[in-house]
Amino acid sequence: MLVSLAAGPAAAQTPDSPGQPSDPNTGALTVTSAVDFPSVYFFRGIRQEADPKLTTFAAGDVGISLFSGDGGLKSASLNVGVWNSLHTGTSGTGTPDTRSHYEEDFYASLSLGFGGGVTVTPTFTAYTSPNGFFGTVQELSFKVAHASRFAPYALVAQELKGQADGGSNKGTYGELGVAPSWAIPGSAVTFAVPVKVGLSLKDYYETSGTDNKFGYVDVGVLLTVPFTGIPSNFGSWNVHGGVNVLGFGDTTKSFNNGDAGQVVVSGGIGMSY
Amino acid sequence: MNSTSSDSTRLARVALAMAMVLTLAAGTARAQDDPNPGAVTVTSGIDFPSVYFFRGIRQEADPKLTMFPYGDIGVALYSGDGGIKSAGVNFGIWNSLNTGSSGLDASPKKRIHYEQDFYVSLALGFGGGVTLTPTFTTYTSPNGSFSTVNEILLKVSHASRFAPYGLVAFELSGQADGGADEGTYAEIGVGPSWPLGSRGATVAIPVKLGFSLSNYYELGDSDNKFGYVDGGVLFTMPFSTAPTKFGSWNIHGGVNFLGLGDTTKFFNDGDAGQVIGTVGIGMSY
Repeated sequence: MLVSLAAGPAAAQTPDSPGQPSDPNTGALTVTSAVDFPSVYFFRGIRQEADPKLTTFAAGDVGISLFSGDGGLKSASLNVGVWNSLHTGTSGTGTPDTRSHYEEDFYASLSLGFGGGVTVTPTFTAYTSPNGFFGTVQELSFKVAHASRFAPYALVAQELKGQADGGSNKGTYGELGVAPSWAIPGSAVTFAVPVKVGLSLKDYYETSGTDNKFGYVDVGVLLTVPFTGIPSNFGSWNVHGGVNVLGFGDTTKSFNNGDAGQVVVSGGIGMSY
Repeated sequence: MNSTSSDSTRLARVALAMAMVLTLAAGTARAQDDPNPGAVTVTSGIDFPSVYFFRGIRQEADPKLTMFPYGDIGVALYSGDGGIKSAGVNFGIWNSLNTGSSGLDASPKKRIHYEQDFYVSLALGFGGGVTLTPTFTTYTSPNGSFSTVNEILLKVSHASRFAPYGLVAFELSGQADGGADEGTYAEIGVGPSWPLGSRGATVAIPVKLGFSLSNYYELGDSDNKFGYVDGGVLFTMPFSTAPTKFGSWNIHGGVNFLGLGDTTKFFNDGDAGQVIGTVGIGMSY
């Protein structure tokens, strides 16, 4: 989710072309926001709510394009933002005397673009729970991505404080993924097939004294339809929806009430300006 | 503290953001090198007050480093020549991070995130410089120092030399004073400002009075009507005289002098007055 928000400000700097609406924002700042409604919330394969009702993800990001050049470093940009999860099910107002604000994450990332479409992005994230369901987790991650047809990436995240698995040791997480997308001919609709695998490099998926290396695999389809009726001076808006199919390792399976798989359906609205 | 949220500084920032959106909606000419002539405006900043008071109610007994980071998105929805000249919606968050007795130094230890407010407002501009702004705010405390307060507020302001305004706020759930009943708050104020020199610096003299119309400043069985008076001076120095591709940034600082009524005096450990120094950085884009 953070990855999709921090797509960067490059789009805002695309020169206008005949027949396209003019960009209302030609500066160095880009605002990205989204609201999503998943059927249930999983974080890196770990189920976050036993009995979901309405789950809402609300996110906002500001990107600042700091630098572009022709040297070894082609671009640099800074993103800061928040990501929230609001629950009316058992992780929120579905539990007596509990507020809906299950999670709020704050993050800052620095994207460094190199030649050949390679981007390296260190990110610091603080995962907090305003309604007190979990202790704050602080994490430093490094992501390497390649801008190409399959958009492959790899990510390593080190927990600095707290733990996503609620285990006994701070963990190190690894993720590999691709996110190819295609434009559907004759329309502005895009179709993406994100696939990712989450692994414990060390103590990330602990259960009963065991650190299971395989966390989960997640395969999805995502359709994004831009709004064409909104004037361009309000930015670019879209509606999107998709389905993800998750397969779990032993630890994440135990967190999912013993089920080895899960289907998650999600829909939402996004904007960038 | 027994209470709630935001502060004069926050309201001033929100008002600034709304004013910017209305300016956009009204089609006022901006510098030709403005990188963002569209309908969306971003306002953000961080302030460092010496101590946090919300509407005269002290929020931390023993402050250390207190920080107010905030962000606002404004969308200019409409401008025209009819009865309504402009309309804009703003939404945003405002936070208070406290390392003193309301945060990290609390006993037992608490998290730093004392307060987080979410708000949405609709600013309607009428003829003669009059603006009517209803705002819904939910004041929350991530570190559990107070219970959530939901409030709806109506503000009327006039764009003129002294920038007078009046507002009435109704607590829908929860209470700023931690009293027995939800309250109704009123505030009147002015915010005149003047340019200083040729580099875009300004000095402002905001003055305001806060009252309880009903049960807002409860103390024991009494509802004290007078809450506080706040007179301040605020200097703002822009980083540049024109917007850059990073927007318009400024550094600002000031001093506020508070005179407190019986209830707010009680919350201030019996002191009838308080001096607050604040510095910060702001940006708009």
